[in-house]
Amino acid sequence: MSGSLRSIVYAAVLCIVCSLLLTAASSGLQPFQERNVLLDRRRNILAAAGLIQEERRLSAADIEALYIRHIRPLRVDPLGRILPAAEEAGAALPFYLVVQEGDRPEGYIVPIDAKGLWGPINAYLAFDDDGATVKGFTVYRHAETPGLGGEIEKKWFRDNWVGKKIVTRQGKFVSVGVAKGRVEEMVPPDKREHYVDGISGATLTGKYLAVGIRDTLNQYEPVAVKFRKNLAHELEGTLPRR
Amino acid sequence: MNGVIAKPWSALKRSHSFKEIVKALWKANPVSKQILGICSALAVTVQMETAIVMGAALTLVVGFSNLIVSMMRAGIPRNIRIIVQCAVIATLVIIADEFLKAFMYDVSKQLSVFVGLIITNCIVLGRTEAYAMNNPPLRSFVDGLANGLGYASVLVGVAFLRELLGSGRLFGYAVVPEVLYQAGYVNNGLLVLAPGAFIMIGLFVWLEHTLLEKK
Repeated sequence: MSGSLRSIVYAAVLCIVCSLLLTAASSGLQPFQERNVLLDRRRNILAAAGLIQEERRLSAADIEALYIRHIRPLRVDPLGRILPAAEEAGAALPFYLVVQEGDRPEGYIVPIDAKGLWGPINAYLAFDDDGATVKGFTVYRHAETPGLGGEIEKKWFRDNWVGKKIVTRQGKFVSVGVAKGRVEEMVPPDKREHYVDGISGATLTGKYLAVGIRDTLNQYEPVAVKFRKNLAHELEGTLPRR
Repeated sequence: MNGVIAKPWSALKRSHSFKEIVKALWKANPVSKQILGICSALAVTVQMETAIVMGAALTLVVGFSNLIVSMMRAGIPRNIRIIVQCAVIATLVIIADEFLKAFMYDVSKQLSVFVGLIITNCIVLGRTEAYAMNNPPLRSFVDGLANGLGYASVLVGVAFLRELLGSGRLFGYAVVPEVLYQAGYVNNGLLVLAPGAFIMIGLFVWLEHTLLEKK
């Protein structure tokens, strides 16, 4: 009896010591980790917009400078009206305007929240200024199986999105789906521009990602329509001055 | 060889710790002789950088878990000793993971789950259970580091060949000259995939076994 009591006490003390150590490590390193996460997101936003090349390694200061020059974080309400940066609003949709010199909008980036197979998938989808053509796609957080669903963050899968259209030639919103295999083999020719190649062994990840993207883009249609109707300058006027 | 080299060397060669280190690095190398830790060895050896960081993380975890378990070994109740060892290892692994996330975020993202999976790496629990439970702290610490380095050395060797032959790069920098590609040289795509790692590790195992047999 005293033997098992000793084991229990020993285990309890060990647990407390271990959890104290972990708490200390986790909270002590949190500021550094948060800075890394923020920088990584900015890097992904820039990569989605095609403003940085994958192969080049940029310093934190370079990324910061590019982000400040080219990216304008904005928020719209569900009807597509720009909300002032300071105002608190329940249903605000954040997105990023990509601007060139002279604050001229040349596209926008939508943050994607999709349900994954094992956990949320967070990504960025960038569009050209026609409000219909995908310019780039990056995944900055996911919990999919490495080698299977984890392929969504790989270059071949991301490159696969470039040039796809979220609206038909008649102007109807259809989003971009993930094919069950290669697009050329699985999708009829007239729909190929609305599908990307799927990942074998990761059908569910592709399905969840496609659903997440469709739902998110549906909400952002008011923004996309502004670009399609060539009214992007309406957004321009609301840009925060720097 | 012994006759030429001065006495301190032969004395060192006879010492207990030295024998243990040689054993961990070569005669009973955790990867190429004991075939342990293969899962992570397959996954993280596409590039040198990830292999080195993974090797370093595992070396530190084995070293310190051996040290801590060895210091605690007199007090650990025998019926829960594996649980205690696991708790120590898991704590160290999570701390290592937190440090990577804070200071080497890119590498940490590439290593994804595999740092966390050090907890289940048989090398770590194997060393604490088989060695640290029966040996004094300092010797256990050395044994842990040596085993970690044994693992890391195979990882780095495999990663060197995979990155060089698979993508023509080392540490992300192109080393195969452009002229060679124009002359018709092609990177071996198989080596970037997991089967390529299997073949490479197989070659290392074969090499080690052949060299050991000759002695």
